[in-house]
Amino acid sequence: MLKIIIPTIMLMPLTWLSKKNMIWINTTTYSLLISLISLSLLNQPSNNSLNFSLMFFSDPLSAPLLVLTTWLLPLMLMASQHHLSKEPLIRKKLYITMLTMLQTFLIMTFTATELISFYILFEATLVPTLIIITRWGNQTERLNAGLYFLFYTLMGSLPLLVALISIQNLTGSLNFLLIQYWNQALPDSWSNIFLWLACMMAFMVKMPLYGLHLWLPKAHVEAPIAGSMVLAAILLKLGGYGMLRITTMLNPQTSFMAYPFLMLSLWGMIMTSSICLRQTDLKSLIAYSSVSHMALVIVAVLIQTPWSYMGATALMIAHGLTSSMLFCLANSNYERTHSRTMILARGLQTLLPLMAAWWLLASLTNLALPPSINLIGELFVVMSSFSWSNITIILMGANITITALYSLYMLITTQRGKYTHHINSIKPSFTRENALMALHMTPLLLLSLNPKIILGFTY
Amino acid sequence: MNPLIFTTILMTVLLGTMIVMMSSHWLMIWIGFEMNLLAIIPILMKKYNPRTMEASTKYFLTQATASMLLMMAIIINLMHSGQWTITKVFNPTASIIMTSALAMKLGLTPFHFWVPEVTQGISLTSGLILLTWQKLAPMSILYQISPSINLNILLTMAVLSILVGGWGGLNQTQLRKIMAYSSIAHMGWMTAVLVYSPTLTMLNMLIYIMMTLTMFMLFIQSSSTTTLSLSHTWNKTPLTTTLILITLLSMGGLPPLSGFMPKWMIIQELTKNSSIILPTLMAIMALLNLYFYMRLTYSTSLTMFPSTNNMKMKWQFETKQITLLPPLIVMSSLLLPLTPMLSILD
Repeated sequence: MLKIIIPTIMLMPLTWLSKKNMIWINTTTYSLLISLISLSLLNQPSNNSLNFSLMFFSDPLSAPLLVLTTWLLPLMLMASQHHLSKEPLIRKKLYITMLTMLQTFLIMTFTATELISFYILFEATLVPTLIIITRWGNQTERLNAGLYFLFYTLMGSLPLLVALISIQNLTGSLNFLLIQYWNQALPDSWSNIFLWLACMMAFMVKMPLYGLHLWLPKAHVEAPIAGSMVLAAILLKLGGYGMLRITTMLNPQTSFMAYPFLMLSLWGMIMTSSICLRQTDLKSLIAYSSVSHMALVIVAVLIQTPWSYMGATALMIAHGLTSSMLFCLANSNYERTHSRTMILARGLQTLLPLMAAWWLLASLTNLALPPSINLIGELFVVMSSFSWSNITIILMGANITITALYSLYMLITTQRGKYTHHINSIKPSFTRENALMALHMTPLLLLSLNPKIILGFTY
Repeated sequence: MNPLIFTTILMTVLLGTMIVMMSSHWLMIWIGFEMNLLAIIPILMKKYNPRTMEASTKYFLTQATASMLLMMAIIINLMHSGQWTITKVFNPTASIIMTSALAMKLGLTPFHFWVPEVTQGISLTSGLILLTWQKLAPMSILYQISPSINLNILLTMAVLSILVGGWGGLNQTQLRKIMAYSSIAHMGWMTAVLVYSPTLTMLNMLIYIMMTLTMFMLFIQSSSTTTLSLSHTWNKTPLTTTLILITLLSMGGLPPLSGFMPKWMIIQELTKNSSIILPTLMAIMALLNLYFYMRLTYSTSLTMFPSTNNMKMKWQFETKQITLLPPLIVMSSLLLPLTPMLSILD
């Protein structure tokens, strides 16, 4: 694992020592090389984990997330080039340093063995994200957004720290590999109910669960493009990954403790999808669609069946790529019109046809068109929730319909129709932007040929 | 002040604390406290104006009262044990009185009222000495009598201190008052774990002193005493803004900076001793502290605070000397991976 972590750390001296005209080239190239190294982790023997050392391991669940993380850094760097072009050199280097620091912490989080180490790195990802949102966001609301983001996450995760330490006290070790074998049933008592809550709330806030999701639209909307990309694609998945890991220790209470959260998620996904239909702000629409997809992941994790775990993992990877691509597309609009309002930039198909193709593909994967991996994820989740309780099919079906509705609404508003007369002087699509979209779409489409690698450890 | 006299007075302060920390006779400890108090008054009054006079008077009155209470506790201890050696305190009454006296000296709730007002009235360097060096002597006595301290009183004072330190600092813009409230809250964390593991108290003290030293050095370097003047540092030395950001986040206890280490260790020790609600409450109340540190970082490093036009070309008349700043900053932010080395503190 050090062969990934050390090069990522070394990206920081690389940025500070590069010449002015080489910073983007250097960092993007080397981060692409690092992502190629991480691809070798996908070769997992069945169900067992690859143990690299006492502190790092990789598992069929964490390997796809790791590959997604390393794949996303070059994409973030490519996406940020335009809005940083007018900043002084030191600020550009600071921005890249923040992204690299965040990347290092994320890689270490996804491969940590010891749960306290996971916790420290999980919290550590907050600091660079906060700095990126607050320092380089565009509107005054970003201050409030940063505060909401920081405090919601911290309020949820401080009880997690106490819970992890008390579990270490009870069972003797928090090393994840050992816990898999030592697992005992958690006895039923009031204090264990609070233990369950303390363990799960941090990840519920991060996912986010419907009632605690207030930080997400603020943070996503106010963040600059790289911030939005990393938030949507990876940081939300930290919550899902944490939940998948920690529920192994929390049986059998999950079977009855999960009910309120299942209800909140099932209702919340319909609510947030419906809100998407009424949004005027493009980034806000994509943010709420993230909440809706993540609610599906929460339902899948809490049901705890092998199919639902497969669906959750596939959905996380698929949503990461799709959501990040949608944010890049929204950003390409923002860079041209400096506004996030959807109706200000409509009819773009006549002006930018190739970008319209990317919009079409992104919207189609967002609404889970077969045979994309989004569909595989959603389908597995729908099927397993149907087996858990027959009635959920109504809500799931409604959600799929409304998801299709708002994805097509977004597509049609921005692409079809007559273009407005004030946008016929926008710049044509850059090669960089087209490359960005292609690099998002290609893994998504290729994975539909072999979804086995993203189906997680219950395959 | 005449440098020779200033050196003598400073040495007396140092000597006073050293006497407190190294004596085994209760009377010598009391003498050490008094020496410390009397010698620090001229240091607090380095600038001669009514505000410093008021601050020094308040400090003198509270500390003298605390010393008198300490003397009473020593005498009651003498009555019940017949000897002056500092081991544990032999009588519960004496223990309670001594704990209250030392809490007054440290600035724990409900004896915290003097800390913001005194810190605000004195200069930044004197405030630095007040909030770091002066805490060493009472803490060393608490460390030594820790087996016989009444747990209920100490824990109540600690939790209330964390609460007051968090809430009181929320409405402040003066930097010295913010540092004072932060000191109250950190003292609360330190005394909460005193009965369970005094080693962690010492660890917290060490890291707190490093972080407070760093903060004060950064304030002194930009001669700023209010949030407004701190927000102009991007103009004078832009690097300082990043350093202020890192140190403030470390004080707030965010991983992966070293300010997280004492909080983590304290929560671990308390949880191992089966008190679970208490560390959760303490950790959540520390978020209040984090809020006003975040406000400071927002106005200093993360946004460009509105300023008038002539601020943008501010002259700097002399380069201030920054004592020890780079090592302090490194130590106050990057020590977390060294946590396994805690065993040397035993």
